[in-house]
Amino acid sequence: MIENEKQNYLTHPKGIMSWLLTLDHKRIGLMYLVSGILFFFMGGLLALGMRLELAAPGNDFISNEQYNNIYTLHGAIMIFLFIIPAIPGALGNILLPLMVGAKDVAFPRLNLASFYIYSFGALFALYTIINGGVDTGWTFYTPYSTQSSSNVVPMTLGIFIIGFSSILTGLNFIATVHKMRIPGLTWYKLPLFVWALYGTSLVQITATPVLAITMVLLMLERFLGIGIFDPALGGDPVLYQHFFWFYSHPAVYIMILPAFGIISEIIPVHSRKKIWGYKFIAYSTLSIAFIGFLVWGHHMFTSGQSVFSQIVFSFITYFVGIPTGVKIFSWILTMYKGQVSFTPPMIYALSFLFLFTIGGLTGIFLGAVALDIHLHDTYFVVAHFHYVMQGGTIVAFLGGLHHWWPKSFGTMYNQTIANICAFGVFLGFNGTFFPQFLLGLRGMPRRYATYSDQFVELHSYSTFWSGILGFSIFFAIVNLFWSFVKKNKVDPGSNPWGGMSLEWTHTSSPPHPHNFETDPVFEHGPYDYDKVIVEKTYKK
Amino acid sequence: MSDHHITPLRTYLIIASCLFFLSGVTVWVSYIDLGSFNIVLAMLVATVKASLVAFFFMHLLWDDKKNLVLFLMSLMFFGIFVVITMIDTEFRGALGFNPETKNPITKRASFYGQLPLTDTHGYPVDSHDDIHHGDDDHH
Ligand code: HEM
Ligand SMILES: [Cu+2]
Repeated sequence: MIENEKQNYLTHPKGIMSWLLTLDHKRIGLMYLVSGILFFFMGGLLALGMRLELAAPGNDFISNEQYNNIYTLHGAIMIFLFIIPAIPGALGNILLPLMVGAKDVAFPRLNLASFYIYSFGALFALYTIINGGVDTGWTFYTPYSTQSSSNVVPMTLGIFIIGFSSILTGLNFIATVHKMRIPGLTWYKLPLFVWALYGTSLVQITATPVLAITMVLLMLERFLGIGIFDPALGGDPVLYQHFFWFYSHPAVYIMILPAFGIISEIIPVHSRKKIWGYKFIAYSTLSIAFIGFLVWGHHMFTSGQSVFSQIVFSFITYFVGIPTGVKIFSWILTMYKGQVSFTPPMIYALSFLFLFTIGGLTGIFLGAVALDIHLHDTYFVVAHFHYVMQGGTIVAFLGGLHHWWPKSFGTMYNQTIANICAFGVFLGFNGTFFPQFLLGLRGMPRRYATYSDQFVELHSYSTFWSGILGFSIFFAIVNLFWSFVKKNKVDPGSNPWGGMSLEWTHTSSPPHPHNFETDPVFEHGPYDYDKVIVEKTYKK
Repeated sequence: MSDHHITPLRTYLIIASCLFFLSGVTVWVSYIDLGSFNIVLAMLVATVKASLVAFFFMHLLWDDKKNLVLFLMSLMFFGIFVVITMIDTEFRGALGFNPETKNPITKRASFYGQLPLTDTHGYPVDSHDDIHHGDDDHH
């Protein structure tokens, strides 16, 4: 024990500078995790503020202007400061080198630079908040965003900067997957989380530059009066939406693909069964990444884009359903006749299957032009994207944290509390967002601080359950970090769920500063439950 | 990895002078009025220059071909973006009869200038205050 404690990355080089200047992917991952979770809480508080305001009609707590600021900041923080950078940044960083058997990512210095670029961009976002917020919505649509006197410039600048961190992380991960795998670990032997990160990285490096360009064009118009989006100057406001969604639709796959990867790890391990349809899952990741580039116009059905484009975009949107469905069925078939155990990660994974399926299917509804003309900018859309982003991505993220927590940090949380919180998240989530589908179908528009009386009942339900959801997530995360305080250490050699990929079989918990004490030798694939028996060991 | 390619200085100098020459070409053709063909030519020259930089200065010509594939992929995504967006602007209003949606981009600003000022019903506001026109006056 004592010997091993000297050799784990959490305690090994000591002192604040050894953290700030660390090149260790696991420490960088942990820093992403902590900053991501802080922004997650910040965004969450803003959300609860909105729900409180919406508990009853009328402007009870906040004015319309404040409400505009709050939903904008909520969206921008959750998407640009938490989900996009922090999930690949945290879980991806910690796990990718371990999974491919490498000592670190391909470019450790670049990795640290990504983290600092992210932090630098985040400062602009914090400045925006302190300086009175921004009120354009997270999409920054023109013409309003070129006229609004709120902090459009610092916020978009922050997003511009954070984009570079995304690109560099993506680049780093791609190089790592190509160059750092140990001998024998061929592409089809990689854990599917690695495939998912690879797909995500491809989207990051190809789509994110467009976001940067969009933000630059916005500034050029604001400051230099160059007519790009403003018709009075010869521009086209719909062009902004093309630019924005050409990035932001692929960006929804930056958000969901890592989640798919997490689920592809949790389900086979906690069912002790070989994953069903490995190649299907791997290739559906790549095809989702590609099709994701062809459907952006489905966000613009009511923007005045041409009818011809509407038809084309609507048609292509349906195709997204195919690879997504392939994954869902593969996961379900993986569990079939497996030894499913209801551990906290598995409960999150099962919640994911349920919630993401609802989210994805309602996405297909919205992809139908005729229906979307009615549902666009209503709560139906709000419910759809929360089912995929929170019910999908964040639930998978929580599941992943619970799954790899003992591995990454060498401590085990209280599993009963974790299970209760996981149920709370599931119930609270459905209670909050299912009524929003109904609200949207009945015509409740999004982004309003108040509403007419017929919506009271559903809105107050939604607010009530959002409280439960908030508490559950908060305690789930506190429960995780509490394991540090309680020092509930797992045995360094333990493998509590019986995982088969390299991070479970070849490293200690928490890992050695250089990941592997000896060069790992590839022995069996990550899902070979039909060939090899791996014991579940937690504490001796 | 394949062994490292070392480019002779001579090649660099030749490419650099090509780039300077092409910059000159860009300036030169901008003085000739070719109508809308001007922009095409300028983009063509710029593309040739960018390719020279990518292939020689950035070593894409000798590198692992995977890098070339990635580079071409990014061009493909750029193509997708431009082409589909242009399709939208090309067809905008194609199934509608509203002249305002028909020519939304470049002609729009001047288009507004030509229109008489109208009230919310589309009637001109500067003349005949009280008399409303018959429907046949409007499209
Ligand atoms: C099964 C695949 C999906 C389809 C077919 C789909 C379709 C759509 C459509 C048509 C809209 C536009 C609705 C409107 O504004 O009227 C939309 C909105 C949205 N979707 Fe999805 N979606 C899918 C999956 C996802 C995923 C996986 C995410 C994120 C993780 C996501 C995030 C969003 C967001 C954030 C919006 C709203 C953006 C806004 O206007 O603020 N979607 N989706
Ligand atoms: Cu979309």
